[in-house]
Amino acid sequence: MGNAFFVVWRESLEAFLIAGILYAWLQANDASGRGKRALYAGLAAGVGLALLLGWALLTVQDELTGTALDSFQTATLLVAAGLITQMVLWMKQHGRQMKAKLQADLAAAAERSGFVGVAVVAALAVAREGAETVIFLYGLAQGGDLSALAVGSLAGLAGAAATAWLAAKSLARLNIGLLLRLSSILLLVLASSLLVAAMDRLIGADWLPALLDPVWDSSALLDDGTTAGKLIASLSGYRARPALTTLLVWAGYWLLVVGAYRRAGRG
Amino acid sequence: MKHALLSVVFGLFLTSTAALATDDMPTFLLVMKDGRLFPETLEVPANTKFRLEVRNEGPGATEFESLELRKETVLAPGVTRKLVFAPMKPGSYKFFDEFHPETAQGRIVAK
Repeated sequence: MGNAFFVVWRESLEAFLIAGILYAWLQANDASGRGKRALYAGLAAGVGLALLLGWALLTVQDELTGTALDSFQTATLLVAAGLITQMVLWMKQHGRQMKAKLQADLAAAAERSGFVGVAVVAALAVAREGAETVIFLYGLAQGGDLSALAVGSLAGLAGAAATAWLAAKSLARLNIGLLLRLSSILLLVLASSLLVAAMDRLIGADWLPALLDPVWDSSALLDDGTTAGKLIASLSGYRARPALTTLLVWAGYWLLVVGAYRRAGRG
Repeated sequence: MKHALLSVVFGLFLTSTAALATDDMPTFLLVMKDGRLFPETLEVPANTKFRLEVRNEGPGATEFESLELRKETVLAPGVTRKLVFAPMKPGSYKFFDEFHPETAQGRIVAK
């Protein structure tokens, strides 16, 4: 049971945190409530997708489908990273437009498409992390002892939800300007970590060269092999032994994003 | 039609050469069973591309995971997956079963 609790908590925490930060970010941006409805719809769709993806991964016996599903997971990482970045940058610019009361119709149209982005990001986050939880729980269910399993996994889900709720609530206590800035930065950090995870998968599958591997080894300072270190790594994009390719992509991402963020702020 | 046929033939040709190219790769076997790894230490040649067949004999699902080796693969009970590793520098690389972290900690030693 302890194991079920811990695995479910850790596997679902990332998805819940993305949802929590999106919630806080919408709080600062969107008074209409439509963004939050899009978020809930995305989360629900994500649960359905997770079950589907979990089932697909479970029935995979041959290599070809396995590789296809691996590529699909890599693609979801890239799409989510791109969408989050685009949403945050767009809202940064759009907030300005709203203040200047310019192009109201255009803003409304753009707002709708922005919220589709929120829904898709939430759905992908839940689907990716949830699929692994589905497989883990399926395996445990085969081993018997369903009641301990149900208690452990429900407690794990509740624990992850509570962690994310706490994060979202403490964010929401900040004043609106600070909340907007902080939640935007957190979302961009998350996007960069998804990008790093995708790079790792691409290098691991030998689709991209590592160039120089590793560039350094900082595992003595912060080891990404430990449980806590791994959590930090998956949320921030930290790697104790980064490949040069990953490092270049990460640096390129931040150069582009910081530049665009500044421009959006001035525009 | 002719194009379709040609591309099928070409596809078959590609897959067959790919199969030939990978066939001389050294292959190692890792069995995951009862939350444990057999063997816990795998010795592989350094600077050589190799294949690792990971078999989950259950009960329960496993996840072969290593940030260091850039691999993350979920295995349902009874499933075998083949992972191909790029040439590694000599050294010791940790991996573990993320669904059984207390008991299933292993390493690959490249020599």
